[in-house]
Amino acid sequence: MAVGRLVTREVGIEVAGREATTAVAPFVLVAVLLAGLAFGPAPQILAAVAPGTIWLVTLLAAAPLARGVAAAEQDEGCWDLLRLLVSPTQLLAGKLAAMWLHLLITWALTAALVAVVFPAPFPLAAIVAGPLGALGLAAVTVAFGTLLAAGRRRSGLLSVLLLPSGLPVLVAGTAVGLPGSAGMPWLALLVAYDVLMVVATWAVFPVLLEE
Amino acid sequence: MRSITIERPVGWLAVAATAAAAPLTLVAAPPDALQGDVQRLMYVHVPAAWVAYLAFGVVAVASAGFLLRRDLRWDRAAQAAAELGVGLTALSLVLGSLWARPVWGTWWSWDPRLVTTVVLLLVYVGYLGVRGLSTDRMLNARRAAVVGVLAVVNVPIVHFSVVWWRALHQPPTVLRPGGPAGELPVLMLVALLTALAAFTLAAASVWLRRIRILAATDRDRGVPPAGAAEPAVPELIVTPRPETSGRQP
Repeated sequence: MAVGRLVTREVGIEVAGREATTAVAPFVLVAVLLAGLAFGPAPQILAAVAPGTIWLVTLLAAAPLARGVAAAEQDEGCWDLLRLLVSPTQLLAGKLAAMWLHLLITWALTAALVAVVFPAPFPLAAIVAGPLGALGLAAVTVAFGTLLAAGRRRSGLLSVLLLPSGLPVLVAGTAVGLPGSAGMPWLALLVAYDVLMVVATWAVFPVLLEE
Repeated sequence: MRSITIERPVGWLAVAATAAAAPLTLVAAPPDALQGDVQRLMYVHVPAAWVAYLAFGVVAVASAGFLLRRDLRWDRAAQAAAELGVGLTALSLVLGSLWARPVWGTWWSWDPRLVTTVVLLLVYVGYLGVRGLSTDRMLNARRAAVVGVLAVVNVPIVHFSVVWWRALHQPPTVLRPGGPAGELPVLMLVALLTALAAFTLAAASVWLRRIRILAATDRDRGVPPAGAAEPAVPELIVTPRPETSGRQP
């Protein structure tokens, strides 16, 4: 119940401020168009780089999203109050669900744009990889976003930490989308990554709340 | 005192292992039939990478230890291991590049293992950078421990990437299903294992020494040896008001 309220609250914050939407949507649009220009008009090349473009843009969009993980609470000064009202696990579940939603929308927007602009085939496994990849990435983003919210200095350093941590999603997501690729091993890798990152974030999250 | 007691025999063992490895790798082991003497870089490149992975494993264990115990001795062990791992990963990359030029015909390739090793290097450089975010010693240690636990996900991916992606990089020769038999001549294998032992012992010696130096630095800064957490609310210092004669106007 508390988790549902936290997710509703996160969605409410986003609807009111549109912070993530205004930061991510223009970035996705420009990044996909520039990628299309950079890789040239040859359809074979565009089809080959399409899966990588989708996940690279989604991964890069995680950096601005990470800055917003606890930004509203910090600005309003209600971070400590929120921590008193719900347990760390509930707080993490709420933040994780909201971030997963953000990243899933980012991925879907990027994938739709790439499918239209590049144009590229979309295997079924690549569609399954979207929610799976977004979950693990959301866990890392929440962890580093909370760390970043606590220490405002060196935000660039923490972004450098976040992006490499999403490398397995980039590799597996790209491999799944390639024509003729065996989907199952990569999807299994994504599931393993999700489990690992969600458990690791759950384990360290109470420590992050101590600050 | 105890760490110095361990440090000395480990240091001497490292010297002995290095003395044994040098003639084995430089003279006794035969040159590779195709690559020639340049293949001898393997005796430094592979141990450097191995010790780097080991060091990052120590960072993960020590970080978890710190989060559980809140004892700065775990944190110092993690920091010393991370510094060692970063240095050896950089060394491994440089040596790999020197080896790749005559063998592959290029200094750099977009081989997944190379790329992920660079990423690994970046993550642990970031780990060391996180340690300077605050002036609070315990806060820095807590943040670094969190990063240390999360970063360890990269280590198995780097190791297994050669199996998963099978690109230009040579697949594992020693650590592979079925063992190393038949892949390496016996003398090469003995030389490689001796070099591995020498590197591991030398790294252990440096690690112990670095921990001792970090402990001394903490002591100089007035940090408690085990790093007992400072009270959340600082002690209230009451300064008595000086007695005054008569009423103030």
